[in-house]
Amino acid sequence: MRNIFPRWTNTIPVKLIISLGLIGGVVTAGITYYATPKYTRVGYQPSQPVEYNHEFHAGQLGLDCRYCHNGADKSSHANIPGANTCMSCHKNVKADSPLLEPIRNSYFGEDTNRDGQLSEEEDINGDGLLTSGPAVPWVRIHKTPDYVYFNHAIHVNRGISCVECHGRIDQMEVVHHSEPLSMSFCLECHRKPEESLRPMDEVTNLAWQVQHNQEESKDLAQIHAGLKIKENWGVNPPLSCTGCHR
Amino acid sequence: MIQTTQNSEEIQGKHYWKSLDDLADTPGFRSWVDSEFPEGASLMDGVQRRGFLKVMAASFGLAGLGMTGCRRPEHTILPHGRSPEELIPGIPAYYSSSRPTSAGFVPLIIESHEGRPTKIEGNSSYKLSGGSTDVYTQASILDLYDPDRSRGSFINENESQGNESSARWKKTPSAEIRNNLANIENFDRVAILSDSNFSSLRKSLFQKLGQKGVKVFTHDPIDFHNPENCLSKALGIDSSLRAIPNFSKAKTVLSLDSDFLGHREPNSSVNTKQFMPGRKVLSPSDAKKMNRLYSVESDLSITGGVADHRLRLSSSEIEGFSALILIKLLELSGEKKPKLLEQLTLLSQGLDNHEKWATESAKDLFEKPKQSVVVAGSHLPSSVHLLTYKINQILGNQSTCLEYLKVDNFAGNLSSLCESLEKEEIETIIFLGGNPVYHCPSVDWVDLLKSTKNKYRLGRSIDETSQVCDFHIGQSHFLESWDMGTNWSEDICSPVQPIIAPLFDTCSDTEILSSLLGENKNSHDLLLEFFESDAGVSQKFEDFLKQGVANVEPSLLANLPNPDEAVLEISTDVITLSENSLEVLLIPDFHTWDGQFSNNGWMMECPHPITKLTWDNALLISPVLAKKLEEKYPNLGLLPEATMLNKNGQIAPDAAVFKDGKQQAPIVRLRVGDHHEIKAPLCVQPGLADYTVVSTIGQGRSRVGRVGSGTGFDTCSLMHTDSNRISRGATIEPTGDFHILANVQEHWSMEGRAIVRETNAKYYSEHEDFAQKMGAESHSPPMWGKDQDASIAEKATTTPRGNSAYEHPDHTYEHSETFGLHQWGMSIDLNQCTGCSACVVACQSENNIPIVGKDQVLRGREMHWIRLDRYFSSTEREGAELPSDVQVSFQGVACMHCETAPCESVCPVNATVHDEEGLNAMAYNRCVGTRYCANNCPYKVRRFNFFDWNKRNTDELYQGPLGEKNDSLVDMGKNPDVTVRMRGVMEKCTYCVQRIQEAKIRTKVNAQRDAKLSTGSDGADLNLEVKDLKVPDGTIRTACQQVCPSDAIIFGDLSDPESEVSKMKNNPRDYSVLGYLNTRPRTTFLAKVRNPNPKMPDYSKKPHSYREYSDKAYPANHGDSKKEQSTH
Repeated sequence: MRNIFPRWTNTIPVKLIISLGLIGGVVTAGITYYATPKYTRVGYQPSQPVEYNHEFHAGQLGLDCRYCHNGADKSSHANIPGANTCMSCHKNVKADSPLLEPIRNSYFGEDTNRDGQLSEEEDINGDGLLTSGPAVPWVRIHKTPDYVYFNHAIHVNRGISCVECHGRIDQMEVVHHSEPLSMSFCLECHRKPEESLRPMDEVTNLAWQVQHNQEESKDLAQIHAGLKIKENWGVNPPLSCTGCHR
Repeated sequence: MIQTTQNSEEIQGKHYWKSLDDLADTPGFRSWVDSEFPEGASLMDGVQRRGFLKVMAASFGLAGLGMTGCRRPEHTILPHGRSPEELIPGIPAYYSSSRPTSAGFVPLIIESHEGRPTKIEGNSSYKLSGGSTDVYTQASILDLYDPDRSRGSFINENESQGNESSARWKKTPSAEIRNNLANIENFDRVAILSDSNFSSLRKSLFQKLGQKGVKVFTHDPIDFHNPENCLSKALGIDSSLRAIPNFSKAKTVLSLDSDFLGHREPNSSVNTKQFMPGRKVLSPSDAKKMNRLYSVESDLSITGGVADHRLRLSSSEIEGFSALILIKLLELSGEKKPKLLEQLTLLSQGLDNHEKWATESAKDLFEKPKQSVVVAGSHLPSSVHLLTYKINQILGNQSTCLEYLKVDNFAGNLSSLCESLEKEEIETIIFLGGNPVYHCPSVDWVDLLKSTKNKYRLGRSIDETSQVCDFHIGQSHFLESWDMGTNWSEDICSPVQPIIAPLFDTCSDTEILSSLLGENKNSHDLLLEFFESDAGVSQKFEDFLKQGVANVEPSLLANLPNPDEAVLEISTDVITLSENSLEVLLIPDFHTWDGQFSNNGWMMECPHPITKLTWDNALLISPVLAKKLEEKYPNLGLLPEATMLNKNGQIAPDAAVFKDGKQQAPIVRLRVGDHHEIKAPLCVQPGLADYTVVSTIGQGRSRVGRVGSGTGFDTCSLMHTDSNRISRGATIEPTGDFHILANVQEHWSMEGRAIVRETNAKYYSEHEDFAQKMGAESHSPPMWGKDQDASIAEKATTTPRGNSAYEHPDHTYEHSETFGLHQWGMSIDLNQCTGCSACVVACQSENNIPIVGKDQVLRGREMHWIRLDRYFSSTEREGAELPSDVQVSFQGVACMHCETAPCESVCPVNATVHDEEGLNAMAYNRCVGTRYCANNCPYKVRRFNFFDWNKRNTDELYQGPLGEKNDSLVDMGKNPDVTVRMRGVMEKCTYCVQRIQEAKIRTKVNAQRDAKLSTGSDGADLNLEVKDLKVPDGTIRTACQQVCPSDAIIFGDLSDPESEVSKMKNNPRDYSVLGYLNTRPRTTFLAKVRNPNPKMPDYSKKPHSYREYSDKAYPANHGDSKKEQSTH
């Protein structure tokens, strides 16, 4: 009874440590990549009940973002427009398009003959008021967790463009999630707002880029312009918890 | 220097103690204090480590299964088909409305998030209350989302009505029942029994119905109209005479068993708003102008807590005492009325002991003519109101501090309804609101209603009264219906505007009356029609709604009749009270009021300001009576026993009141006469009249929702059918059973330190900085070291190191990367706080604070972010004898937002950190629930979510995910601007950070837009100064500050030396609680100043809290050094 364990077992501890280290490394790297918003959220592109084309409306026609998302510069939420906003054009333009049927349904509601008047037979619930139809179930793409209180108004009014968080919506036929919107994403910008600040008028101009000459790069020009804005407006984005968590 | 106040004469004042056990210093209490946390608060109950690991392993396995295919669930956004104008999602809308109460309409502003009302605040256009409300108004929003309210209208399908257990309710459209009502023809055989209400719309409908022959009766268990009816009867006037005091003009106030600052009397928030500014002292010169309150009462009310002099007297003796005061006043005024004097002497027999008290207080009242008010409690008999009327007449208050209002009284009372029912004159009866069957068990309702064919009931939920009816119609909440009415003093009129359409198929009272008239109109049309015809408001309807209040002319009585004749007619009878013939006083329950808040968790869990009981009521008895009962029935366990050593020299086990922090209350049988008997637990309460038993109405309801079921004890069988709430000749006898009361008073004991600092006005006028000379920090080197004298703004922005070895981050605007534009701070004026508890519930409503249920309160897990500490102080006592005469001090304690916060340094995950504006932030999403922070908090203000309070019913907490989820109806009332916290995270006061952030964002957005508009440029070159970006002082009002009727709480920016809060903190009365710990709290307190009259027999000139602090700093056995001290 000399050697219970053969010689090759001597290397087991070392191998174990190395393989455990490797597995651990792979798992960590995997989680870092696959379980963070960079991977889980970016690219999310659900199909919508109505195939609204942002590239056409915002890009080609040049509708301002705030025509539809009119709460963006007033409220914490940038609202999804009601059917009435769509119908203000589509009463006349493509009024019979089958693609717009959910919108028309929602807009006309009890007004079944769609003449803009509520007759007595139409008034099903008998309250004398025109009740609109079922809401269009738009699928939510951008969402922060419940404990994060993002406010659109302060960003939009203080020179942060829509493009910083939502990407080039004006080039998307179907909208997708383009930025991770993770906490580090927010903090990066809060630490260096000068990289994103732009004049108020250019906030909804998603294609806008700072003017720069040959001598300095575009990024450097942006930082110089951004720093000036930051100083002029007293921009001081919060870095502490209370800024976003309440 | 240290011993300046140690002169032995000064140290007789008061000794502070928080409970009877504390006072008696029993071993039970000692071990309780030592363990710091209440029993079970931080223990893993019954779960062993092994079992825990087993469970956890299993759950990890399950989690693995669920991980596959885990993607964010799909959310949809549902916009309007036609967006309402001016509705921007995310921006709350504010509408004016008002809450109908039995003491008038309370004008309100309702916050509505996307159509859901979430918070009630007072309407600041209503000058009398200035935007403050009482605790019930704050809690009333929860009733809208009460999952147990009636969700529609019902027909009682049971043949034998009144048999509660077998009553079956079948849902029916309310329109059908309304049609039934509309078809009633025989109007003179219709009776309506309603609760009293100040609605002018309802009144006009009643009048229309009255013309058709319908009989209208009103009944209130707590009848605020008793004084006015008594007065008109005694004086022989045809309309009722309501006394409206104006406390703002009064320098001296005598309260005769009247809790005018509290829930027992009408209009408390207006009274507080008028009375408390007279006690505001900002400089020694104010101390001379301070008003003075004398209180004579049987129960210890919060008004008695504020009083400068308080006399314990049974409610039956108040009549004699008011006669005594009147005698003294007649003597002072020199009026010669021998007959009257003779009668008064007869009335005031047996009160010789209080002669001096009466003489001196009468003198004080008389000294300032036309600047005093004498008020009497609404439960008192007619004679007291008459005598009070006469007293005020002699004092000349009737033109200055008191107005008399003529009030129509057209409705019959309950006894006349019973008569009509007995005569079988009634074919149809409608119970409109109220709950008379619960309140009047002495009436045999089933028998009386036998001959009545149709019995309708309009009520918030199916309750005791519904059980005797055929039809139950759900009553709309006031936030779901239209109405208008006047306030208590009938000088303003305010609308009730619905904020949300009725959630269920319910009706308002006016709609029912309209159906009865055969009209079937909805409340909006009714109101509009009434408003345009005869509302008496000159404004346009839209303006009326916008403003929320409109002035109307009250009908005052100018020529006040002489009461002398009536006084002569008062019959005299001698009352003697003893332990065998007790007086029982019935008062509305703090939690449920008259029972209408029985299913309101916020109210049930809000601790009673004085007893600190939650979820229960108890019979309150005085220590004197308790002692007599103990002698008669040993082992009752009412009083703590004196500490004693057993044979082995160990401290003997003590049958104390508190066992492991749970109050064991003996259940007793209280008998009045032969047939009135109740069973309820006893609670000893110092400050009560010796032989008065105080009992509350409104608990122990038999038919109530899930929250209120099984709570409290029903005492309604002691009620009389009239408004008399005093019974005599009661006896108490133990049943041998015990009941555990959820008393929060011993939680978080802060013993032996100068926590509440107070002094008398006279001492204050000579020593403005008395608060600085108290507490351990007054003996130590200055807390701020060399920076002691720096300005508050400087201290707040730079956080000076003082003599500390540690560096603190520099938050100065110029020097820091992360500068704070503001530095938030709060000042709480202890002199203004009455203890009304409105702040506790306002905070709960604003910050989504859950309720935890009685079982969890007993484990010390209540979640209130503000707790209102109540301390009793008494004159020197002998041995373990419990004192009867006590003074009360309140102190609201929430997170102090310490600059050097002890909680922050122990958090392993940085979940609680400071922000650049001085807020002690709490990041819920980061918290892992170690609870180190709560351990390290010296103020014990952190609250831990032991369970998913928001998700589960309080009785299913232990079932965890296996239990049923809460009704989602409650979730509709949550404030969307505040995170709803889950199990396992710590939480605490945030200074209403959501309001701060909203205000900051609004200020910045507006500044930016204004600048852009005014310059017209594209914005890159705009220049915004710091002052443009700062939130103006007074913009942000925390929920507790907003609701406070006495403006005790001031919040604001410390870096602005002109802000209100900076001014308060510069006052020499300002001090930090536990300041010697160098936590540098941002919330500081202004010391309390009392204003006693030196001539009064119970006067003590010593600053009370010197005693507590000096006892600890210089214990009695320092006898030798004491002599040395006095030589300093």
